[in-house]
Amino acid sequence: MTLPKIIATIAGGFIFPFLIRLCWGALVDKLGPIGGWIAAGFIVGTTWTLNHGVGLIYQSGAAWIDMAWAAFIGLFVASALSGDDVGKGLGTVVNAILGGLLGGFILYCLYV
Amino acid sequence: MKNIGSIIGFAIAGIFVMSVWGAFAEAYGIFGGWFAGLAIISIMWFMNHFLELVANEGAFVDMAAGIAVTGTMRDVFLNGAQAGIDSLPTLAFVAIGAVIAGVTAVAIEKMWAERDAAVSKGEDVSM
Repeated sequence: MTLPKIIATIAGGFIFPFLIRLCWGALVDKLGPIGGWIAAGFIVGTTWTLNHGVGLIYQSGAAWIDMAWAAFIGLFVASALSGDDVGKGLGTVVNAILGGLLGGFILYCLYV
Repeated sequence: MKNIGSIIGFAIAGIFVMSVWGAFAEAYGIFGGWFAGLAIISIMWFMNHFLELVANEGAFVDMAAGIAVTGTMRDVFLNGAQAGIDSLPTLAFVAIGAVIAGVTAVAIEKMWAERDAAVSKGEDVSM
């Protein structure tokens, strides 16, 4: 990866969890669950146009690295820094990996 | 049941995002991709986080974790381990950006909390 691609990819990884952490909860607090619909469109949809639509996150290999990796890591770090229990959270990470393996395998069955 | 529900929630979110999203983008271009975010993430967030199908004690694990692993593993299953190894640089730089974002966002929340505390203190004085 060249330096410009590295800088672009780091920026893409920064922007997504930053927007989610600062805006999603506030939208739901103010608007209720419909705030989650607005967040899905205007945080996730809009950030997708940047990170994957025009490709700010550069793909170095053939295995897709989604901006979801950034949301997972950035939000987990932010939560840990705000004092939430990392050990208990890791149990949920294990479930996420198991769910991801299951989902990835089912999609393998779709596309193979 | 908590763990099974969580695994199902992560898997379903991953399956939708890593199949239907791309189909929307292929059919309708960048607007298809934007709309896929609205159509998929809205209801997946409602089920997984608002209704809490994903049981999450301790530090917050977004359903994005399941989506991320699904997307990467889909291609590792399809293209082999080398595909995953070739993608590690992107994953590493995305992770660096994400960690900086988490640290920065918490610092900004702290600044906002201090700002709001100062404002409410000001109101108390005026009362």
